[in-house]
Amino acid sequence: MRRLAALRHGLANWRTVSLCLLIVLLIYQVIIPFLMITWASLKTARPGDAAFMEWGFTLANYVRAWADAAFIEATINTLWFSLTSTVMAFAGGLFLSWVVDRTNTPFARFIGMMTLARIIIPGVLITVSWILLISPNIGMINAVLEWLTGIKAVFNVYTFWGMVWVHGIEMIPLAYLLISSAFQAMDPRLEEASTMTGAGTFRTLRRISLPLIAPAIGAALLLLFISTVETFEVPLLIGGRADVRVYTTEVFFNTARVPTDWGLASTYSMALLLISVVLLYFYFRLLRHGERYQTVTGKDYKPRRIDLGPWKYVTCVASLLLVFMITGLPFLIMLYASLLPEDSVSMIEPLEMLTLENFQALFNEQDAFDPLWNSTLLGLGSATAVMLVVSAIAYYVHKTRIPGRKILDFLAFASIALPSVVLGTAFLWFYLLVPLPVLGTLWIIGLAYLTKFMPFALRFVSSSMQQIHVELEEAAQVAGVPWWKNFFRIFLPLLKPGLLAGWFWVMVHAFRELTIALMLSRADNKTAAVVIYDLWENGSFQALSAFGVMMFTVLIVLVTISHAISRRYGIEEQT
Amino acid sequence: MIIVENLSKIFESKTERVAAVDGVGFTVEAGEMVTLLGPSGCGKTTTLRCVAGLERPNDGRIQVDGAPVVDCPAKTFVPPHLRNLGMVFQSYAIWPHMTVFDNVAYALEGKKLARAEIRRRANEALELVQLDGFADRPAPRLSGGQQQRVAIARALAGSPSALLFDEPLSNLDAKLRSEMRSELRRLQQQVGLTSIYVTHDQSEALAISDWIIVMRAGRIVERGRPTEIYRAPKSLFTAQFIGNTNLIPGTVKAAAQGGGPVRVETAMGTMAGLDPNNDLKVGEAVRLSIRPEDLAITGAGAPGAENALTGRVRVATFQGSAVEAELAAGEETIQCHFGRDVELAQGAEINLTFDPLSAVVLRDEALEDELDAA
Ligand SMILES: Nc1ncnc2c1ncn2[C@@H]1O[C@H](COP(=O)(O)OP(=O)(O)O)[C@@H](O)[C@H]1O
Ligand SMILES: [Mg+2]
Repeated sequence: MRRLAALRHGLANWRTVSLCLLIVLLIYQVIIPFLMITWASLKTARPGDAAFMEWGFTLANYVRAWADAAFIEATINTLWFSLTSTVMAFAGGLFLSWVVDRTNTPFARFIGMMTLARIIIPGVLITVSWILLISPNIGMINAVLEWLTGIKAVFNVYTFWGMVWVHGIEMIPLAYLLISSAFQAMDPRLEEASTMTGAGTFRTLRRISLPLIAPAIGAALLLLFISTVETFEVPLLIGGRADVRVYTTEVFFNTARVPTDWGLASTYSMALLLISVVLLYFYFRLLRHGERYQTVTGKDYKPRRIDLGPWKYVTCVASLLLVFMITGLPFLIMLYASLLPEDSVSMIEPLEMLTLENFQALFNEQDAFDPLWNSTLLGLGSATAVMLVVSAIAYYVHKTRIPGRKILDFLAFASIALPSVVLGTAFLWFYLLVPLPVLGTLWIIGLAYLTKFMPFALRFVSSSMQQIHVELEEAAQVAGVPWWKNFFRIFLPLLKPGLLAGWFWVMVHAFRELTIALMLSRADNKTAAVVIYDLWENGSFQALSAFGVMMFTVLIVLVTISHAISRRYGIEEQT
Repeated sequence: MIIVENLSKIFESKTERVAAVDGVGFTVEAGEMVTLLGPSGCGKTTTLRCVAGLERPNDGRIQVDGAPVVDCPAKTFVPPHLRNLGMVFQSYAIWPHMTVFDNVAYALEGKKLARAEIRRRANEALELVQLDGFADRPAPRLSGGQQQRVAIARALAGSPSALLFDEPLSNLDAKLRSEMRSELRRLQQQVGLTSIYVTHDQSEALAISDWIIVMRAGRIVERGRPTEIYRAPKSLFTAQFIGNTNLIPGTVKAAAQGGGPVRVETAMGTMAGLDPNNDLKVGEAVRLSIRPEDLAITGAGAPGAENALTGRVRVATFQGSAVEAELAAGEETIQCHFGRDVELAQGAEINLTFDPLSAVVLRDEALEDELDAA
């Protein structure tokens, strides 16, 4: 008994110490970026100046931004771009989820699968591929239309609506995912119960279906909106040339240009942060509201499919076309462009001209694979680090009663409000100030990724952690099993599905991430996504496409391997 | 009154074709409670949903109070909201975004009533299920049993011509279940409502029904009063599904004559029991079904006497009001249910007998694993 008491005591101490360490780590990783941006926005001195560290603040930056027509324009553009893209993605997602889940359209399952498959194509490649399709100069679709009708440049991607189109299409898979899970959370018995009381279709829709689904749909719309506010690829690659400035690009250009405009960059960051915090607040409120409406049972749920009669062929063709645009077209055009001769200026070339020279050039060039290797390292490394930190957090939050554990949860989750450009800026400036030798290395990107991906990974782990009962652990403790054995024998096996799913998610997202990597890139720590951007800047779309195909291939290999591994350890359902 | 004739419903998917309901027909007289009883997956819910109109049958006719609501040959299909039926779902299906009162009042909204009348009737329905104090509560903030009552009040409120219950008590815990069971019966009789009740729980069916219809694999096996179904089941399936029983295998030695018992040759000697179908022939393989409570202890009988069994006590458990025992008799295990004063020592040999009128002889049939699923 005494041994047990001592063991418990030791364990408790050990836990408290590691809890404190975790809190310190999270403050460092999460609170400092927030502070960094806020602080810089209240200073006219630049980081590195002595005055920057002094106590004394000014609103000069805000005043300057407010007086600047460009700020107002960026604000309007950001909101309008987000609204229109959200509407477009929502409409597409709604249509697809209706077709896939609620109708007897042929190939429904295939359509659903292909929509989600798009999620692994990196966003930057999607944007580039749409440029290859509808840019006024080289756009393939424009070229075909010109050949058919003689009209030049029918579409122009370098416009506001071009941006909306590309980003809207890009977000449809996310919209589809959100909308179909909102519908699936609703018990069809609730509608049937209304019918049985004598209510017709319309009254059931108005009084039962719509009010029940509204919070989840509202949350979905907000999330799409927030994602657009924070998006970077489309505004950077298309908005730059279309002269449509939004917050994210303003932060980037004010940071990246020489000399850096610290004041404006931080003010734009603050505006971005503010929008994101406010919208997220409403998002979580709606989400909680929606969860209250979810009935616990739904045990005999079978979605009722509408028989569309001959119309099912219309929906089938329409949704296959849409899915082709979402998933097939970007990949195919990239593949095609990678095979074009290096000196060609048009997207239409006779088939016999197609060549592998771009790939040859890639293989001949020294260091061409370094960025791919960097991305792989970042993917694997940050996924592992994030999962380790997050499991520890989830353990404290859900499985102990140590005071202070709630702070952990909050801290780990707070970084969801930090848009990537803001996060990138904060890390850049912080390590300009702090003499740690991470600038220009993969470490700085990895550290930023830790902050970026923690909240998402935490969700995967928390839900599995909650399923493990405290008694399990206490039973083991009473039986005198040392805690580490307990951890490996009881916790790890039960947590495995959540851990692997989270790891997988972070790995894919870290591999293809552009925004943070670009803001923190120097000569030696370029990732694959950054190289795509560089190549695009150089205007060589053949080399870019070849590299894009390589990037995609490496990602597929990584995904396949980790999928095979998680299969072996028995977690088919989660991913 | 509800009349169902020749009802069939087939679910087709790419991989399979399930005849969930296969030629079912029955009648529910006005004011009666008829229960569809059977193991899960036998098509009870589907039958009920066809009556409700939530499922469109492939064949058959359904009439409610003389009006056809489904007539497949004539392609008539009245949509569910025009059938004036009330339904209580297995999962309650209480609308979580409304209060208790609104849940009930909603059922009256389509009826072109004055506000005050809606209020009065909704409150009346809530009173009937003893929830009058809860009118303004948000519906999700109720216990399972209370939600169940709201569902019943909602179904009752619109004065439907019949009520349909789909396993309404299966999500409640055991104690609440038996309470609600008697209350449902009281309500149904008080309001005098024609009802169809679906359940896989035989004790529930025995307790609340006027008639029980036993279903198996989409078809009706038999129909009868609860007492008949329990005492004299007409099939081996029913005998085994309802209550506890001993099924002793044997062959018919002498067929029934003028309503008298049949004689069956078993490993334990000759036994006599009733033949409820009156069609057994000499030499047929049968099972003799004896309820545990119909077995009585006797002294040593004459060797070769009819309806005599000898068994060794394997376990005996005192249950308060009764003693339950498991005996080993040759290859068979015999379950018995004695009065509370019987004392049994483990391993003791005892002699049993039973009244031929309390035993039934049923044609043997393969029972697969359907019953395990129930
Ligand atoms: N919507 C449906 N689609 C396909 N098969 C169904 C559907 N509903 C029920 N079934 C099948 O029909 C059979 C009868 O189901 P059901 O009526 O729910 O049985 P019970 O209520 O007696 O348990 C089962 O085999 C079930 O799997
Ligand atoms: Mg059922």
